[in-house]
Amino acid sequence: MSGKREAFPLPVRAPDTSNGSSQPMSMAVRGGDFLFVSGLTAVDLQSGARMQGTTASETRQILTNLKQLLDAAGSSLDKVVKVNVLLHSMLEEPNMNEVYARFFPDQPPARTVCGARLPDGVKVIIECTALA
Amino acid sequence: MREVIAAPLAGLDLRQHYGHHQSPAVRAGGLIFCSGMLPVDPLTGERRHGTLTSEAHVVLGNLKLLLESAGSSLDRLVQVHALIYDSIEYDVLNRVYRQYMANGPPARTVWTAQIEAGFKIQLDVVAAA
Repeated sequence: MSGKREAFPLPVRAPDTSNGSSQPMSMAVRGGDFLFVSGLTAVDLQSGARMQGTTASETRQILTNLKQLLDAAGSSLDKVVKVNVLLHSMLEEPNMNEVYARFFPDQPPARTVCGARLPDGVKVIIECTALA
Repeated sequence: MREVIAAPLAGLDLRQHYGHHQSPAVRAGGLIFCSGMLPVDPLTGERRHGTLTSEAHVVLGNLKLLLESAGSSLDRLVQVHALIYDSIEYDVLNRVYRQYMANGPPARTVWTAQIEAGFKIQLDVVAAA
């Protein structure tokens, strides 16, 4: 329903931070026709442990988790309308793009990619908006 | 419903020219989500490097073309993220931006980021369909 905002219950454990506290955010929130997904970093969904790797491996891990998250929320990768990708360096854009393409084989969502200073040595953050 | 919006001119298809795995824009839920708009020639896709002012004019021109081809317009923008290479250019951005957003400018956030190919500006926008 429009006007209603619903924090989606976590289908997965939120990533732990080094000091043991969880992040003050929901993984995804439904509002209007949309599901807004928080910026995801590469973590193991079972343990919540960080999976630090290359730009390519982190991208693969994030999108694998995103698929699971969207499916659990009743959406899917097919319903993603917009993706924002933050990279630690724009020199890595092709490495991200190559992996990314496999997850959105046809009719890919709109996307913006930029380089930004990311926390804790993270190489990739991906956030998205999907149809709920 | 989710509908991919094709590039109105060949140069605006960044997937074709640069292999970026993205659609130019997607319409869904009464909104149009555009991929990050860059200063490329709308006919040829060639990069149009220049000053922030010249790049901003190209980007906003491209955005106008894309939105109008999708039945929307600059007047229907709801949110703009303006990424610029250096915050020192904030006032320069505003001078150009103002010319395109005469009536009731959209919500906007500006920040500094690394933009591909050394461009000085990229616009990431949502418009009403």
